[in-house]
Amino acid sequence: MATAKDASAGSANKPFDIVATYNNLLRSDPDLTMPIAAIEALVLLLTHSPSSTISETLDLLEKSTADLKKAIPNPIGLSAGTDLFQRYLITTLQRPGQLGPAGDFNAIRAHLLSNGRLFIRRAKESRDKIATFGRGFVRDGSTVLTNGGSRVVASLLQHAAGEKGGPSAVRFRVIYVLSSAKGNLENHHAEPEGMETVRALRAAGVPVATIPESAVAYSLGKADVVIVGAEGVVENGGIVSRLGTYQIGLLAKAMGKPFYVVAESHKFVRLYPLGQYDLPIEQHVIDFKTDEDLTDEAHPSDCTDKAVLGEAVDFTPPHLISALITDSGVLTPSAVSEELIKIWF
Amino acid sequence: MTAPVDSTSGSTPAAGSADAQKPNSEARTGQPPPPTATPTSTTSKPAKAANGATKPPGKAKGGAVEGGEETLTGAELKKRAKAEKAARRAKEKLEREQAGGGGGGGGGDSAGAGGAGAAGTGQTAPPSAKKGGQAMGAKEAAAIGLQKGQKQAAPRRGSAQVVQQGGGVVEPKKKKEDKKVAVFGHLYGQQRRTTIAGAAKEVHPAVLALGLQMRDYVICGSNARCVATLLAFKRVIESYTTPLGTSLARHLTTHLSHQITYLSTCRPLSISQGNAIRALKLHISSVDPSVPEAAAKASLCDFIDSFIREKITVADQVIATSAAQKIQDGDVIVTFAGSSIVKQTLLTAYKQGKKFRVSIIDSRPLFEGKNLARVLAKAGLDVQYSLVHGISHAIKDATKVFLGAHAMTSNGRLYSRVGTALVAMSAKERAGGVEIPVIVCCETVKFTDRVALDSIVVNEIADADELVTAEPLAQVTGLMDKAASQPEASTTAKKGNNKPAAPSPLTESHAGMRSTASASPLKDWRDTPNLQLLNLMYDATPAEYVDMVVTEMGSLPPSAVPIVHRMSTNS
Repeated sequence: MATAKDASAGSANKPFDIVATYNNLLRSDPDLTMPIAAIEALVLLLTHSPSSTISETLDLLEKSTADLKKAIPNPIGLSAGTDLFQRYLITTLQRPGQLGPAGDFNAIRAHLLSNGRLFIRRAKESRDKIATFGRGFVRDGSTVLTNGGSRVVASLLQHAAGEKGGPSAVRFRVIYVLSSAKGNLENHHAEPEGMETVRALRAAGVPVATIPESAVAYSLGKADVVIVGAEGVVENGGIVSRLGTYQIGLLAKAMGKPFYVVAESHKFVRLYPLGQYDLPIEQHVIDFKTDEDLTDEAHPSDCTDKAVLGEAVDFTPPHLISALITDSGVLTPSAVSEELIKIWF
Repeated sequence: MTAPVDSTSGSTPAAGSADAQKPNSEARTGQPPPPTATPTSTTSKPAKAANGATKPPGKAKGGAVEGGEETLTGAELKKRAKAEKAARRAKEKLEREQAGGGGGGGGGDSAGAGGAGAAGTGQTAPPSAKKGGQAMGAKEAAAIGLQKGQKQAAPRRGSAQVVQQGGGVVEPKKKKEDKKVAVFGHLYGQQRRTTIAGAAKEVHPAVLALGLQMRDYVICGSNARCVATLLAFKRVIESYTTPLGTSLARHLTTHLSHQITYLSTCRPLSISQGNAIRALKLHISSVDPSVPEAAAKASLCDFIDSFIREKITVADQVIATSAAQKIQDGDVIVTFAGSSIVKQTLLTAYKQGKKFRVSIIDSRPLFEGKNLARVLAKAGLDVQYSLVHGISHAIKDATKVFLGAHAMTSNGRLYSRVGTALVAMSAKERAGGVEIPVIVCCETVKFTDRVALDSIVVNEIADADELVTAEPLAQVTGLMDKAASQPEASTTAKKGNNKPAAPSPLTESHAGMRSTASASPLKDWRDTPNLQLLNLMYDATPAEYVDMVVTEMGSLPPSAVPIVHRMSTNS
């Protein structure tokens, strides 16, 4: 976490460091998603900053957003939050009345901040809402295949499992795809992402099988439905998600299994990737090397590569997705753009 | 239905009155209306006029009969008139079929362009015109009626050949073959105007000229036509004075609808033209009657200017900037024909210092890509130019496809120059399974709430003679593109003109053949049995073949077209 260290060092001489705040927020609350952390950081920024005019506020916001995006290696999820907040701010400021351009700026500010907090609280609650919507997709006797460390998926599955032996409990099984990319080579003790969910589900009495990514095609025949989480939902209804989701989507399509995505609506990003290599981030997943390159490079680069691979994402195009389960309902991929347009115009 | 463009069916109250006026004025220009003014005679009046065009004695007789029998009751009169009309029609048909095909047909049709023909249509067409009127907007029906009229001065079926420049003399007895391609038969109603003769007297000279320019493709392309129409209408508005006893809001729409009718007879209106006209009419009808005329006209001109600026000029800049972001170093961009917005996108990307190649796919008979190739090559881009039959070759090393649009329909289909669907399909179904993204650049002014399932129901049929001659048809306006006479297979141009240095022997021999008396083997296609030519203008690309639509409101999947259309028309 080089960025975090830089940020904390910088916070000594600077009055407020957005990057450090963001990272601290993410670390302090494991339930926090990237967009929400970004919004929370921006709200904190506004409370700390002494800006007194609208344009000053907007300027500050823009600058800090740019800084934040630059400092984070994968700002896709984050940008959903910052864009949303900016949009919200602008529409609030444009609205006529007491809080409009003619109103008292301090009142506007107070309103913004309180509403920002309200937004964050609501966003945290949205996970329960999604779990309620998505329950119906996990049927009695079915087998669910899932991957990654998505907290929404975990909450959905736990919701479906209900209390152990309770009357509302759905009896289902889970095939959990555990990523082998992370921690396999150097730190054996670091457990793969999602292990926590696996334990929780097992504790709730749900039979869970864990498989490596290489066994997805083999196991998919036994699964009835695929449910995955997402880092960001893009404009055409596709998703940006942990590396390996795309191949699960392709396989599910090939085998005719429904492929559902669970995501909060604040993860909708104003981004339109045309394919895997059109994402606005640098990823070194494919890195061609000869023996010479390997000897030229020192050992340290090796471990950073592994870290990068663990963080890498891919893009699952909309035609592979059966439906998106969000807190504004169950949407088809094409409805995502409609939702986004509603927010933006 | 075959409604060409929904455009003119604006919800203005004046529309109805315009139509009511139209047939009368046409009749006036053609033939003096019969003297009688009873209801009966009005029903049969147009028939008489038409008859008059072909055989004057009949008309004289008809007039005399009707004038003499005023004593009969209305019902009886009606019955008799009906019977007379039926008999006359049968007779007329018989006559036409006999004299028909060759010289007769040609004569009838050339007359059709003039007023007499238009009057004639008034009643050869009534059933169809009426039918049309129910389904489509009132004004449109009038426009179509007019077009139909021109054509249907010749009998409708059997010898229904549409001859423009007299098709040579054939044995008069022989029944002529229908040269309409059956599946597209409903589209032939839109026969294009050949001269400005017979245009309504209200039509402004600027509009007259524009009509011919559009007919000859001097002004071609959805955007260009839209802008040119708006600018012409601006001149119409500038030179307009409200007649006594009416208000500007009520009368100007009528006045404009004359211009629109004329334009639509030159070439069916594009979706963008329709949308622009609808917006303009809406604005006119909302003009406060208490506003002085000069101020109202100024506000209308301002509206037109800002419409062009917002919906087209600035929109194009926004689209070009955002679409250019999708171009990366090393890309090979395939584009089809000549879209102004794609041109702007490519130039923008080039100015940003991106290194990419452009492969232009073009097709007969318009060769719109040639101009694009020239402009891009002149600007310094690497350009490869080939015709659409070289598509499988051109698509092989492509990485992205950029397409312009004539319209985007509400089911997400792209309605564009014929051949676009083929290019999009080649990109998506490329052998090897790797899909190339297909990106459509389209202003929201080209969105329509209509739905296109195929390219058959709604389309435009151009003159089939364009396919026959390699050279463009004799134009009334504009410049002849000599280069257009040589369809080249595939030419790679590097900075400069894309013409090869020396024509191959094959093309030479072709040129030789062309210069001989019979220019093309297809020249006599009208007289060649079992031969039909089809010259379609547009096709519909399925939404699955389009990955992204770049508009001034952002990038969308094709499925979001209706939502954005709804929003851009509401606000």
